[in-house]
Amino acid sequence: MRRLAGVLLLLLGLGGWLGWTVPPRTDLAAFLPPGGTPASAFLFRELQSGAATTLLLAAIEGAPRAELARLSRDTAAALRASGRFAFVGDGTLRLGEAEEALLFRHRYLLSPETHAEAFTPEALRPRLEALLDGLRSAASPLLARIGFADPTGAFFGLAATWLGGSQVETSDGAWFAATAAGAPRALVVARGHGAGLDSEAQQAAMDVFRAAFTSASPGPARLLLSGPGVFSAEAAAGIRADVRRVALGGTALLAAFLYWRFRSWLLLAVVSVPLLAGMLAGYAATTLLFGSVHAIALGFGMTMLGVAVDYPILLLTLSRESESLASAATRIWPTLRLAAVAAATGLLAMLGSGLPGLVQLGTFAGAGLLAAAATTRWVLPRLLPEGAAVAARPLPPVILALTSALQGRRGAAIGALLLACALLVGMGGPRWQRDLAALSPVPVAQQALDAELRGQLGAPDVRSLFVIGPAPSGAEVLRRSEALATAAEPLIRIGMLTGLDLPSHYLPSPELQALRQAMLPGTEALAAALREAVAGLPFRPTAFAPFLVAVEESRTMPPLGIAEFTASAPTLASRLAPLITRHEGAFWGIAPAAGVTDPQRLERAAIALEIPGIMFLDVKLEMERLLADYTRLTLLCALGGGLAMLAMLAFALRSATRALSVAAPIAGALVVALAGLALAGEELSLFHLASLLLLAGLAMDYSLFLAHAATADDGVLGDTFGAVLTCAVSTLLTFGLLAFCTTPVLHGIGLTVSLGVVGAFLFACAMTPRRAPELA
Amino acid sequence: MIARRALLLLLPASVAHAADAALERQMRALAAVTERSSRFTEERAIPELDVPLPNSGTLRWIAPDRLEKHTNWPIDERLTVTGDRLIYERADRGLRRDFALAEQPEMQALTEAIRATLAGDLPALRRHYDVAFSTSDAGGWRLVLTPRAWRVLGAVQRIVVTGQGAELRGVDTEGQGGISRMRIEPAP
Repeated sequence: MRRLAGVLLLLLGLGGWLGWTVPPRTDLAAFLPPGGTPASAFLFRELQSGAATTLLLAAIEGAPRAELARLSRDTAAALRASGRFAFVGDGTLRLGEAEEALLFRHRYLLSPETHAEAFTPEALRPRLEALLDGLRSAASPLLARIGFADPTGAFFGLAATWLGGSQVETSDGAWFAATAAGAPRALVVARGHGAGLDSEAQQAAMDVFRAAFTSASPGPARLLLSGPGVFSAEAAAGIRADVRRVALGGTALLAAFLYWRFRSWLLLAVVSVPLLAGMLAGYAATTLLFGSVHAIALGFGMTMLGVAVDYPILLLTLSRESESLASAATRIWPTLRLAAVAAATGLLAMLGSGLPGLVQLGTFAGAGLLAAAATTRWVLPRLLPEGAAVAARPLPPVILALTSALQGRRGAAIGALLLACALLVGMGGPRWQRDLAALSPVPVAQQALDAELRGQLGAPDVRSLFVIGPAPSGAEVLRRSEALATAAEPLIRIGMLTGLDLPSHYLPSPELQALRQAMLPGTEALAAALREAVAGLPFRPTAFAPFLVAVEESRTMPPLGIAEFTASAPTLASRLAPLITRHEGAFWGIAPAAGVTDPQRLERAAIALEIPGIMFLDVKLEMERLLADYTRLTLLCALGGGLAMLAMLAFALRSATRALSVAAPIAGALVVALAGLALAGEELSLFHLASLLLLAGLAMDYSLFLAHAATADDGVLGDTFGAVLTCAVSTLLTFGLLAFCTTPVLHGIGLTVSLGVVGAFLFACAMTPRRAPELA
Repeated sequence: MIARRALLLLLPASVAHAADAALERQMRALAAVTERSSRFTEERAIPELDVPLPNSGTLRWIAPDRLEKHTNWPIDERLTVTGDRLIYERADRGLRRDFALAEQPEMQALTEAIRATLAGDLPALRRHYDVAFSTSDAGGWRLVLTPRAWRVLGAVQRIVVTGQGAELRGVDTEGQGGISRMRIEPAP
């Protein structure tokens, strides 16, 4: 007794120590693949740590328009005051005086309208007429202040580029859109300083946002937040809630069931020893191999290791009355060893998939199963006092009658197998999950809100983009961006896309700025052109003196570089920042494409452009391809693992026929699970594959023990039925609960294993030969 | 010496007091008219231009807070102020902008000069301007408004509103070295 308590404490202590020294990682970076091609490598890095991940989109609803506008203004002001955001966009957004001054000063270097023909009398004339028209309008005070220094309107063009990017309706200092029901909705956008899916920083940013909203005394109005950070937080919270519910519910159900079967609290403690040891070993092995365990792999791995309760249950149920636990362990060890090693082989096959998350999951579950089996064999028998045999209570007669009625009905089993196969084929085989988004644990409603807000803010989710880089400097990124702009023009003309959001759109490269400087006319030439253009218009000869001075200054001023731009114009720079990033000393740029109708066609056209240092990337296509690659690889691994299991069986049982008859229930379980999933309309993902491997291991336990018992004494078979049924029900209780989870991955694992475990038990029963009555 | 100074201090105060009473009377008279339509002609003199730029149109006032300025020559544009909102429309360009007045201090200063006067809302006038009021014998009056906000002073130095009885007759806006003169008469 004391030894049992000591071991439990030791395991818990070790687990705590391990978790403390090497805590599980929660950032997605460790879970996603590194990416095989430069495009996918860039994609994953951006998804994990790109500036896009710091974006927060907010909607304020549920109050009258004026109140929403006030809330929006107050919230945005509080966000700006918090200093946590590099950029806060709302209806009050405008350029600061210093930023306006910077744009104004550099207007002829930055404006795309600066070219030699822009300063001829013919080009100047309509500009001057437009200025005169403006001076007649209500905008007269503004034009009187700026128009004479900038008659070509270069500054207004720039300001429009910077502020007029979005199509949002601005009124009363707030951006407005409508909800689906037609009620008003105020919109706010914020971009954080922090880069990456650092979930703590994301959470902190969201908390600041919510606090800013609350401090504006919202009354009945509510705040809806969206964005990658919200997604990862929601996903984590969703998984956490599901795992907690399943862990608590599953443990309680399992404990209640085992207590009902054995009427012993001692047994519960005993059963938990291999389970804890397995988890500890899984954690240690994964940490040793990969440096850390990802929280997602840990959660799923622990769930999967739930099946390790089978081992102590089998040991305790199969030990005979007069037998010591140690000798029972020795007796069943060959079968137990075979079952555990074969199951672990199947799970370890996932190592070949190359997907870091699955590799960790395979390692965790495989190592855990082996450790749990070993603990059952060598540790458990020593933990129980000699006389303290734990015996299972006899099963209710109804159940025994049912199982023995099923026993030996191979024809029915094969018939059911064929029926399931036919069903599966009839439905066109299992359907594969092609969209990674469907795996996201983020609720569909939240995804829909995100799409809606992005649409309304004119900030569509980046799907097709050009990637510029790696480049030695930011200036080089801008240069290539300009080359891209020229090269992509024909594609825009034929309507393959409607436009590109280029970094050079916001800040031209130093070369282009120098080129524009060279095109600016000298004071004499410009004055002459103006004199000609102004003929007949009521402007005084001295009216445009500030214009002459500004153009002359522009000819010699140093070009505006990224560093100065970022330092002196934070609002402007926040538009450029998401498009230029720095990674390991190299600069990268992106140019998202808008209005793409056919990404595949655009991809072909983009590749044909052959611009050096620029590649095309369609996030969805790339993801689908990667997923297809990984699925194919994982499927191959699973098949390989299955074959390895079969070979191991054949070797251990020394007979291909016996191996096949043991394998038949496994195949049955898999086919039933696949048919059930297809019927339920589930699309198969990598996690379903992993679950199928786990299921194969479980089914083998049942099959091996029943086949083994069928060759032994008569009494053994009944006990074994009881033991296997206990195992199956235990598994069904925990995994059945998983099937009710909302997290797609957990739901998939739960449904697969639950369906399969029922199939595995029924098939194993039916395949067990009926003892010929005349021999009894 | 000291007495003279005290007297100097007292004198304007009593004059101001008398003017205040007259101003308040004038404001009540203006407030009594809750709806009016007028025609206006305006000439903007800008130092960079040889000639002033003329324009004309209609003004419409509906108490308590709606003012429309519709210019129909030589361009077509419409400014509508209601409550704290400003709508700018230019039909020929398909342009429509909706602002909070508070976002546009210069525009607010200009429109409040007319609106607060028509509303007879002295506190609103004083919120935006230092107000000087004088009358002439024939029932004519004159409000000299100096913007209080520094930012507004950069664009508008002085607005002079003149009238006769309960009618508005002129609004002259001085700023940036130029002057804009608006003449107003009741619509036929």
